[in-house]
Amino acid sequence: MKVSLFVTCLVDMFQGNVGKATVELLERLGCEIDFPTSQVCCGQPAYNSGYVVESKGSMKNMIKAFEHAEYVVTPSGSCAYMFKEYPHIFKGDPEWEQKAQCLADKTFELTDFIVNVLKIENVGARLKGKATYHTSCHMTRLLGVKDAPIRLLKNVEGLEYVELLGKERCCGFGGTFSVKMGNISGEMVDEKVRNIEETGADILVGADAGCLMNIGGRISRTGKPIRVMHIAEVLNSR
Amino acid sequence: MMAMKTSDEQFKERVEKNLNDSFMRGAISAAQARFQTRRQARVEELGNWEEWRAHGEEIRKHVLENLDAYLYELSENVEKRGGHVFFAKTKEEASDYIKNIATQKQAKKIVKSKSMVTEEINLNAELEEIGCKVVETDLAEFILQLNDHEPPSHIIVPSLHKNRRQIREIFAKAGYDKSEQPEEMALFARKTLRQEYLTADIGITGCNFAIAESGTVTLVTNEGNADLVSALPKTQIVVMGMERIVPTFEEMEVLVSLLTRSSVGQRLTSYVTLLTGPKGEYETDGPEEFHLVIVDNGRSKILGSEFQPILQCIRCAACVNVCPVYRHVGGHTYGSIYSGPIGAVLSPLLGGYEDFKELPYASSLCGACTEVCPVKIPLHQLLHLHRQKIVEQEGKAPISERLIMKAFGLGASSSPLFNVAAKVASPIMSPFARDDKITSGPGPLKAWTEVRDFPAPNKESFRHWMKQRQKGEKS
Amino acid sequence: MTIQNRDEFLNQIAKSLGRPVKTKVERPVWKHAPQLEVLKNASQDELVEVLKQQCQNIHTTFVQTDTANLPNVLQQVVTDFGGESVITWNDERFEKFGVKKLMEIWPETGIKVYEWNPDTPKENIRQAEQANIGITISEMTLAESATAMLCSHPKRGRAMNFLPQNMIVLIPKSTIVPRMTQAAQKIHQQIEKGQQLPSCILFMSGPSNSADIESVLIVGVHGPVNATYIVIEDQ
Repeated sequence: MKVSLFVTCLVDMFQGNVGKATVELLERLGCEIDFPTSQVCCGQPAYNSGYVVESKGSMKNMIKAFEHAEYVVTPSGSCAYMFKEYPHIFKGDPEWEQKAQCLADKTFELTDFIVNVLKIENVGARLKGKATYHTSCHMTRLLGVKDAPIRLLKNVEGLEYVELLGKERCCGFGGTFSVKMGNISGEMVDEKVRNIEETGADILVGADAGCLMNIGGRISRTGKPIRVMHIAEVLNSR
Repeated sequence: MMAMKTSDEQFKERVEKNLNDSFMRGAISAAQARFQTRRQARVEELGNWEEWRAHGEEIRKHVLENLDAYLYELSENVEKRGGHVFFAKTKEEASDYIKNIATQKQAKKIVKSKSMVTEEINLNAELEEIGCKVVETDLAEFILQLNDHEPPSHIIVPSLHKNRRQIREIFAKAGYDKSEQPEEMALFARKTLRQEYLTADIGITGCNFAIAESGTVTLVTNEGNADLVSALPKTQIVVMGMERIVPTFEEMEVLVSLLTRSSVGQRLTSYVTLLTGPKGEYETDGPEEFHLVIVDNGRSKILGSEFQPILQCIRCAACVNVCPVYRHVGGHTYGSIYSGPIGAVLSPLLGGYEDFKELPYASSLCGACTEVCPVKIPLHQLLHLHRQKIVEQEGKAPISERLIMKAFGLGASSSPLFNVAAKVASPIMSPFARDDKITSGPGPLKAWTEVRDFPAPNKESFRHWMKQRQKGEKS
Repeated sequence: MTIQNRDEFLNQIAKSLGRPVKTKVERPVWKHAPQLEVLKNASQDELVEVLKQQCQNIHTTFVQTDTANLPNVLQQVVTDFGGESVITWNDERFEKFGVKKLMEIWPETGIKVYEWNPDTPKENIRQAEQANIGITISEMTLAESATAMLCSHPKRGRAMNFLPQNMIVLIPKSTIVPRMTQAAQKIHQQIEKGQQLPSCILFMSGPSNSADIESVLIVGVHGPVNATYIVIEDQ
């Protein structure tokens, strides 16, 4: 199966390891990876700040970049959801609406793709430790991917899963919200990290680079001995 | 301070002040937990909540699309039952009409039960100006009124931010000298307010839902104060937002169920009271005169606009109770009588961007509000729509931000440009980076790095690694 | 009876909606009706059980009895509330349920009794305000929420539901329906037939309460502090 990787700009620039893990994991599960190099950003930062006109250029670029793809897979629920929004954003645009719909229809978040397209729930990963999982808002509420990551995590050999209190509560990232309302966002992530600490887990797993950058940044600042891992990295551990 | 707007301080100052109020924040996180648990239990026991929401939504949408017809029917039926109906375009028209009644009746004392729309039209201050004593009878409103008319911080529990010690101090102003036990303080309120009901000239209530088919007003409460306010004084005035209407008793019943389960996690509140006109000819209690004041005050501007879904709101506060931003900043930060996600959408619409332009940004767009809304208002989308309007139509976004977004528009539309950015990011940021992290960032990163580290850009971008890898495979 | 400013107001609404003013609309057939599913096939006994369970959630004492034993039960409940003074509706159903006689002998045992009187408005309020116990009868009873429907009437004042310290509601078993849906349907049908509604229909679920101080539940604020439901096997 040929999979076009939408790696996301955050991973591309800041979390290369997540991209690498995604590539290796999907290859191990039998996929052939295609990486369209003209991809940049889904446009979400500008779009969510209200700059719809400014964001459309990057959206069109993405539509073009993935036009040839059979499946588009991304290690981010939030960015996957952005693709799903494209048809709505280009509604009534004769040139782009149809193309946007095509892209939306073939786009999958990584864990959703593994569980519901590849039909695999045990990827044969091994990792020792006690892990808890933060459910990212866009991935669960807007994209509707809830069970897939948990099912995959529970099948990781050696990994103990503990549920996070208030796991569905926003970590405070929210894209530009985190700088625009920096102090409110800071209180939100502080509470999130306290909740993570209370679980006694030594690994915090997430499926969205933005949330992980936020939570990880706070864990790093407070010096807590908790490792922050993207679920692709966990599933790629052997 | 007037009407919608509750503060003259800047938004940033309000945030700062409230983030430092540790009691308030503890009270809110505890209350959110309780509200959420209770709501969840009441929602799950039904087993088909999504269908309930869909029904709530279809009722509200239909009513809004046919609002003129239902208001016509309502007013006809109120009149048939001997009541008066006044349609008020503005808050001034509404309060003037009510002041006129008070003057005609030579009213000295007016008792009120909790009503957000009367806050919106600044009714208490208006009535006090003409010499009436206005007594709020809802326990929370009673507390805030005694505390120099403090504004509400929550649309269901206006005094959510106050602790028992503070309440005791407030009650002391009214002669209370007992303990800070909630039961004892409530008893004091009961005794004090009993005398007020019995001696008031006019009773004023809000309206949860008006029923068009019969001209009936629905009041949903737990304390029983609204019932005494409407049963004892000779004149009753009901004030309603023009959108709070349903076709028949059957739809009222559905919306009341959605309301009580979503707001306080009860199957029904202690009292659901249906009032039709003044008292009957031979009845000995109930008002002799009944007035219904229907308020527009900016709502008709929302009707027919992209923001119309916000008028579906039934004021349950489920969105407030789940909001992670409200959780930390509390109600007063919003600077409006309407707080939380509903307040962040509604306040700029009713009160203008000038005073409320920050509110749509006080959200991480996490969508928790949309998920719990019992009438399916897409709250986070409406917050986003506000941002769009602020940027595109109002030109109210800061210039620096506009420039950044323009640059984003260019950079993110073309991979060569992005490649350059990705390549230079690491060297540009390197003076700020230590051990692969940035602890004190420049420009917009400053707010981020106050409380958390920012990752230094990859020395090798992912795309570069991928390129090398693919080359390797080929060779 | 006046209606003021209506035309202009409705014109503005129609303008916003982008169409001419409408003064009539057909209520649609709704796509959904989840409310009809609740306790759909429950028997009358099952409904009583639901009501009983829900009474625990709303801090209300539940008692069940047959008509023959009702006077004894009512006497016991009144005694438990401390007797003193009772206010009742002026309602022929008390006679039908066989408790009228009991009420007549209460004064001899030191319990003051006042019956709502359509001719003495001020005295009604004064008595209700001082009464220890109020006794009323439910017209329709909602099992799901343990709710009594009480309708105002010249002989049945509305303030009586709120002013006494303690409330006793007699609930004929035959009046129990699954939930508010059935009550709303019935009232809607009455309106369609052109019947006049009572000026006040109250759906009461237990005593008054508030959680306005530190979210601590306080039972008994402005209205009654305690409530007891007596379900009567009347079928």
